[in-house]
Amino acid sequence: MRRILLGLGAAIAMLVLPGLAAAETVKVGVIGVFSGGFARWGEQFKQAIEVFQKHHGKVVNGNTIEIILRDAGGPDPAKARQLAEELILREKVQFLAGFAFTPNAMAVAELITEAKMPTVIFNAATAVITRRSPYFVRVSFTLPQVSAPIAVWAPKNGIKKVVTVVSDYAPGHDSEQTFIKVFKANGGEILESIRIPLSTTDFAPFFERVLQQKPDAMFMFGPGGPPSVAMINTWASRLKPAGIQLVTTNETQAIDLPKIGRAAIDAIGSSNFTEIIDTPLNKRLRADMTAMFGPDQVPDVATVGTYDGLQLIYMTVAKLGPRPNPDDVMKFWTSGLKWESPRGPIAIDPKERDIIQGVHLRRVKEVDGKLINVDFEIVPDVKDPWKEENK
Amino acid sequence: MATATVILLDGLAYGMVLFIISVGLTVTMGLMRVVNLAHGGFAMAGGYLAAMMIRAGVPFFAAAALATLAAGILGGIAEMTVFRPLYRKGELAQVLMTFGLTFVFIAALTWLFGTDVKILPIPSYLAGPVDLGFRTYPTYRLFLIVVGLLLFLLVWFVIEGSLYGARLRAAVDNPRMARAVGIDVNRLFTITFVIGCALAGFGGVIGAEMLQLDPFYALRYLVLFLVVVAVGGLGSFKGSFVAAITLGVVETAGKFLFTDIAAFLLFALVFVLLLWRPNGLLPPKSVA
Repeated sequence: MRRILLGLGAAIAMLVLPGLAAAETVKVGVIGVFSGGFARWGEQFKQAIEVFQKHHGKVVNGNTIEIILRDAGGPDPAKARQLAEELILREKVQFLAGFAFTPNAMAVAELITEAKMPTVIFNAATAVITRRSPYFVRVSFTLPQVSAPIAVWAPKNGIKKVVTVVSDYAPGHDSEQTFIKVFKANGGEILESIRIPLSTTDFAPFFERVLQQKPDAMFMFGPGGPPSVAMINTWASRLKPAGIQLVTTNETQAIDLPKIGRAAIDAIGSSNFTEIIDTPLNKRLRADMTAMFGPDQVPDVATVGTYDGLQLIYMTVAKLGPRPNPDDVMKFWTSGLKWESPRGPIAIDPKERDIIQGVHLRRVKEVDGKLINVDFEIVPDVKDPWKEENK
Repeated sequence: MATATVILLDGLAYGMVLFIISVGLTVTMGLMRVVNLAHGGFAMAGGYLAAMMIRAGVPFFAAAALATLAAGILGGIAEMTVFRPLYRKGELAQVLMTFGLTFVFIAALTWLFGTDVKILPIPSYLAGPVDLGFRTYPTYRLFLIVVGLLLFLLVWFVIEGSLYGARLRAAVDNPRMARAVGIDVNRLFTITFVIGCALAGFGGVIGAEMLQLDPFYALRYLVLFLVVVAVGGLGSFKGSFVAAITLGVVETAGKFLFTDIAAFLLFALVFVLLLWRPNGLLPPKSVA
């Protein structure tokens, strides 16, 4: 509705004030990972951009929005910084966006502060990022945001003793620390915390150790891709028969479930985006994804992150014109913005420039021969708990 | 005690997978003195092929056999076109060329199948757990141990007992003398290279449960394969077996007992082993 109003207003303005709104090109530089082993993030960025442009066109108030993609090739801070420099100095972009990985986002913080470059994070999820520059805004999620609600739910539902098992890198630590803190505060007991090296191929021995502790559940955070698939499989073959439940965050997304297979059944998850979200926008996004890219293609966390990032940028251009003053942009972004995402209503925390959204607690089930995440509780309007802790 | 047995079994299963894949590498690096960094590519190609066939309805064992064959043929083609001109070039040329070949494998599979993990479905009769009396254990891992042992015995028998094996041992220990007594060393190497690639392909198929298939397989696990060959001794089959089992069991037990330092443990062990025996545990006579 808001967008329609904005659009109408803009249309009227153009009719009434011809000549004032000279058509210009607004450049948006998107730094992502479009090649190499992590290219699936870039794939999601690209697909979301195409679907968004199909829904909203490439023109806002007569101004063409040009999206310039740049490939960081992986978690590569130096490269990300260099690409950001190039986009700002040579391409003269009005907005910077993207960032699949935390280190890449962190690496441009100083630069965007110096250049006063409004920057939208589509994916990177370590809590601290938006504190590193006043020009960051995040539309994806934070790891504490999805880890805390499940830690509140667990002790109330028979899960009293937990072993945490996380991949040994920053997002894993973020997730682990939040879970432990919230779980203990709610009366839970942590028996052991295991950090698994990123290079691990066989998870059996770590999980045997978990088995020995006899917890009610294992809280798990993997790095995505093959290791996460292997971890869930190992849980299913060794811990599930012993009655140890699996509690995770984003590990069982619709995009990964076919790869994990039936091993994922009964895994408990906590995410800002599940496939059965019943908003009209989500249905439309889903339908267009399969129509445009094939039957296996489903939206995921980075797809909606990108989609909403572009919504934000289009709104900004509609409101402030093609050449806005950066500080006006930041004022607009911190004015208590709320809008309709495919995942439902979302808002930007005016103080922290981070996203506020519902978190879905769900369980993997087999329905009509297909694996899906079925929500059992939706915790509305979750702010990033890390920022509440670290004021 | 039960847990110790399970850890031992896990270590053995892991070691067997490493052995099956690396035994081919020990051939190329040890016998032919070619630094073959593309070896993981053949294992990966075998795995992908079997995964595709199983999805298309081919039974598991038939798919494994066909993929093994295909990896061998691929190896043969690569030997004739890419490797042969490299035999007399220096090691740097070999490293660059085979590393480049690895990237070709990665790019080709990314182009064909995307970067996602390819799941290789294992047959339902091997997928479940089996009751060992004191607890249940994944059937497939027992299957891996059995297959690994059988394969080792087969390789052992061929190397130690057959004429082909005798010639091969001669060519490894002293290629010039072998040529002098009339052994066609080049042809022997081609055949051995093809068998090595076929074994890698086979390892890629049956080891996919532990070493997951995605296009970066060829690089991700390369270090493990090289470690097995180096620790076992270049060109030594028995050495590869002992090294693979040792590394598999020690790494698995290390992860269980010393979770915090598990990542270093394997490399610390390799470091110590190579300090103690720089040419590997059981090097062939030519290096020993």
